Amino acid sequence: MTTDIATERVAGQRPTLPDLLFRPFGYVAGAQSLALGLVAILAAGFLGSLSRTHFDGVLDMHTGLVARRAFFFGAGLIDWLSLSVVLFLMGKLASRTAFRAVDLFGTQALARWPTIIAALAALAPPFQRLVAGLAAQLSSAVPAGGFSIPAGDLAFGGLAGLVAVVCLVWMVWLMYHSYTICCNIRGGRAVGTFIAGLLLAEIISKLALGIALRA
Amino acid sequence: MRNLPTTCPSCDSQLAVARLVCPECGTAVEGSFGLSVLAALPTEDQRFIVDFVKSSGSLKEMARLLGVSYPTVRNRLDEIIARMRAAEEEEPT
Repeated sequence: MTTDIATERVAGQRPTLPDLLFRPFGYVAGAQSLALGLVAILAAGFLGSLSRTHFDGVLDMHTGLVARRAFFFGAGLIDWLSLSVVLFLMGKLASRTAFRAVDLFGTQALARWPTIIAALAALAPPFQRLVAGLAAQLSSAVPAGGFSIPAGDLAFGGLAGLVAVVCLVWMVWLMYHSYTICCNIRGGRAVGTFIAGLLLAEIISKLALGIALRA
Repeated sequence: MRNLPTTCPSCDSQLAVARLVCPECGTAVEGSFGLSVLAALPTEDQRFIVDFVKSSGSLKEMARLLGVSYPTVRNRLDEIIARMRAAEEEEPT
């Protein structure tokens, strides 16, 4: 019988750094992950409010938004709740065993911690200058000589964008890992229901965030 | 004492006990004896079950003991339950 990577870990073995980065939910779940995850979501919201970076959807990250600080905090919470609720229902449909809601909701919250790094990258002054410059140039007519952006800002902007993409991919992996561990689903069934859940949660979160932004 | 092998190294079928010996007097009993469902499980599963019973069946306590998360222990238990069910189905009636 095949066994899941995380359930193969044996007693007394300390988790390695790759375990903590990519398979953390073999070691932390429940109320502990919920508390840590909520702190991470709020921290990312706070950093996002400083850099005007918001996570407007389960998988989205955009910068340059002018909104109340509460929206930056609320966006992360809406993203988390949207996916957690959808995956909980998916898990109930697809899993053959019982599982606890607190494990899924907690680990899904903690799976969002890479957004802190993404929000931090967007906070860097060269990236802020790049975004401000791009916004100014895009809002006006293209000059004859084309856009002029300092090479340093452009390079750093590209790097910050790359960091953000890596963080989002990492976050999706952690979300998937949380789903498979907490609901005890594997293989094609896990992949299929997770992707369906992710798409559904993306739509729900977009709708909810649209309402929240207008409120 | 060495671990009891439960599967055939050649064809992976479940082994049966053919000979039992009293370590005190050396009396030997020969025949074909089946393994119980628990004895047929791999050693690490048997160890898990012993720890689980000693923890009064508390998955939380097991998670603390093993240094892993609650769902990890729950999944491990589910795997063992599946193996036990498979072993029961394999048992001749």
